[in-house]
Amino acid sequence: MTTRSTRSPRRRTVVALGIVLAVLAAFVVRLVDIQVVNADQHVKDAATKIGESIVLKGTRGRITDANGTVLAKSTLLYDGQFSPVNVVKYYDPHSESPPAVGWQEMAARIGAITGQSAEEIMGIVADALAKDPGSQFAYLKRGLSTEQYRDLKELGLPYLSFTSQPSRVYPEGAVAGSIVGFVGADGQPLEGLEKAQDACLAPTDGKDTFDRGKDGVVIPGTRRETPAVDGGTLQLTIDGDLQWYLQQLIAEQVKKYKSISGTITVVEAKTGKIRAAAEYPTVDPNDIDAPGSFLRNRVFQDQFEPASTFKALTAAVLVDTGKANPGTTVRASGRETFPNGAKVRDMGLHKAVNYTLTGVLVDSSNVAISKLSERVDPQVRYEYLQRFGISSGSAVKYPGEAKGLLYPASQWNNQQLHDTNYGQGLTTTVPELMGAYSALANGGVRVPLSLIESCTAADGTVTTPKTGEPVRVIKESTAKQVTSMLENVYMQASYSKAIKVPGYRVAMKSGTGQKSDNKGHYKSGVWYTLMIGYAPAEDPQYIVAITLDEPTKVKSSSADAEGFQKAMTQVMKTYRVMPSTTKATRLPVYK
Amino acid sequence: MSALNDALLTLPARSPRTTEQPDRHLRPLERPRRRRPRVAYALIALAGALAIGAAQMGLSLATTESSYRISALTQEKNQLTWQKQELDDRIAGLSSPQYLAANAAALGMVINQSPTYLRLSDGKILGAGKAATASSAIDPLGKNAVGNALVGDTPLVTHPDATIKAPPVDTEEEVATDAASTLPPPITDGLPTPTTR
Repeated sequence: MTTRSTRSPRRRTVVALGIVLAVLAAFVVRLVDIQVVNADQHVKDAATKIGESIVLKGTRGRITDANGTVLAKSTLLYDGQFSPVNVVKYYDPHSESPPAVGWQEMAARIGAITGQSAEEIMGIVADALAKDPGSQFAYLKRGLSTEQYRDLKELGLPYLSFTSQPSRVYPEGAVAGSIVGFVGADGQPLEGLEKAQDACLAPTDGKDTFDRGKDGVVIPGTRRETPAVDGGTLQLTIDGDLQWYLQQLIAEQVKKYKSISGTITVVEAKTGKIRAAAEYPTVDPNDIDAPGSFLRNRVFQDQFEPASTFKALTAAVLVDTGKANPGTTVRASGRETFPNGAKVRDMGLHKAVNYTLTGVLVDSSNVAISKLSERVDPQVRYEYLQRFGISSGSAVKYPGEAKGLLYPASQWNNQQLHDTNYGQGLTTTVPELMGAYSALANGGVRVPLSLIESCTAADGTVTTPKTGEPVRVIKESTAKQVTSMLENVYMQASYSKAIKVPGYRVAMKSGTGQKSDNKGHYKSGVWYTLMIGYAPAEDPQYIVAITLDEPTKVKSSSADAEGFQKAMTQVMKTYRVMPSTTKATRLPVYK
Repeated sequence: MSALNDALLTLPARSPRTTEQPDRHLRPLERPRRRRPRVAYALIALAGALAIGAAQMGLSLATTESSYRISALTQEKNQLTWQKQELDDRIAGLSSPQYLAANAAALGMVINQSPTYLRLSDGKILGAGKAATASSAIDPLGKNAVGNALVGDTPLVTHPDATIKAPPVDTEEEVATDAASTLPPPITDGLPTPTTR
């Protein structure tokens, strides 16, 4: 009996312990199930109930000019939206406490902020309701400024809501507008460097996740943030103030000479940096739909027959190969037929005269340069032109940049054999021509052009684009002799007075090019005119080129004279280039 | 033997003395002695638990409080961001060359073409060396102006009635009338000579 009495409580203890352990085991199993096996699912469920996730938008980077002046920056615009159904409910006359201000009065107040009339605003709501009596959505106005947005918010209207849109502002307007390009309403870059340099400018979105309590306050310790990375700052080589002046100038010149369009480009001779690329017509990226907007970039995307500006290159080939020097003479009249049957003529008819090579450039005689050029093998000339960078585009690699069309010498027909000497029968672009002239200005070395100074990322890393190495095209002595001849063009050409830049020695050449009618013939009576030159000639600092497409008031390159003179003067002034202290050598034109 | 007896006799006589020691005696311990410390421990434990609870609550309150504070500051930051944006919008374009040049032109200022430099080392004049003309190299006002939608219709600071797109009509006349009142009196008897000693 004693054993039984002692065994009974022990068994009870065992049973109780067993039950406790079983319950504990059940809890453990459930705990593991919740915390480990199905943890992800539960976290997700919880997240949908109290968790929130916000996309953190980074800011698109700025575009600045060479001096850091902002050409493009980001801002926010707002879209205002009505809930038409709620408008009706809010102004229901049968409600217990109708608002103090009626719908019509409020519509007028809204309109005063957005610049619409009360009728317009009431119309928006009425139209939406007419289409769908339960309408929850109608735009009040898109693209509201922050000021308008805040004024509207202050009205405290429950039926009005807003969404923000990143947008771009171009503080300098059309200054460099055709280079900078623009961004569409949806934030997508559409043109120019905005598009081409999107990799530098575009931000990387971040993410902010957290749990919110009942009153909307973030529950402490639940916040996880991946910060957004802002876009980089793109610095151009363009000088905004010079660009503005030249754009103003080219607009006036295009109108004065009744041309289709015009461009002025400035390149720093020693570095190849493009300091200005002005054109007209152009675009104000703030208002691309404005009448007269031209969305492409003519400087980089147009090609043309460079005409007599090419004679400087042909002369360089002749001098560099030792076949001629500035004093070499040639007898030529205004119109001649060559032994191979090709016909060449000058702009004006004249009797046979004895030109020096300098005179050939000064008078811009097509016949004479063609005659002299027969001393050089066409293949050699072709190779020189390639080294000058003709037909290879520029190192800028502007989006949609054009390349000149230069056929291999073996494919030149009898006429092209001569035409190519004076820049016809081939095409080039402004950047290619500037590059070629940089070789004349830089003692025979062609420097690659650049438009982008650098891209500075949000973390401070600076990347500079690779533009390649300078190329030696001609001997230093050749460059000197050609420069001297081009100085004589500046001093002795028929338009000399009109292009005089007081105080400076300038080397330059003009060109009046025939234009293709795209049907295998040249247009009659209209020309593509240009002038290109550099100064000061004794130590060239800047290369300036002006083009006018089909000027009609003056049809030849003389139309460019005023623009060239003003542009070159302004460039010298802007960069405080000291006036020349030496005098150019006057070379004979005839012999 | 007697000595041994003595010894034997003395032994039992000693042993009762040792058995009589009170420590060796078993007796139940008094209860109150064991109970008193238990209450104290309980109180300490309870107080500790309460303190922990209070501390936790305090901390929780503090974090919630800071959470509200963060919320308020975020709101303030948003307000300031808006304000900054508003001000940015308002000044956008005012520093553009278009606006600056138009303001200067409305004042009657012209862009002169060729500067002249004075070389300090030998006093030589470099450059054109000619006086400026009254005509401007370019005209930043009117329909040829380089576009800028931001300031196209903004009144000029120097001529509040005019904008870049709608330039002042009769600057010449106005300058003339204004000039008459603000210019110093005309010199009638030759140039004034400064008195220097």
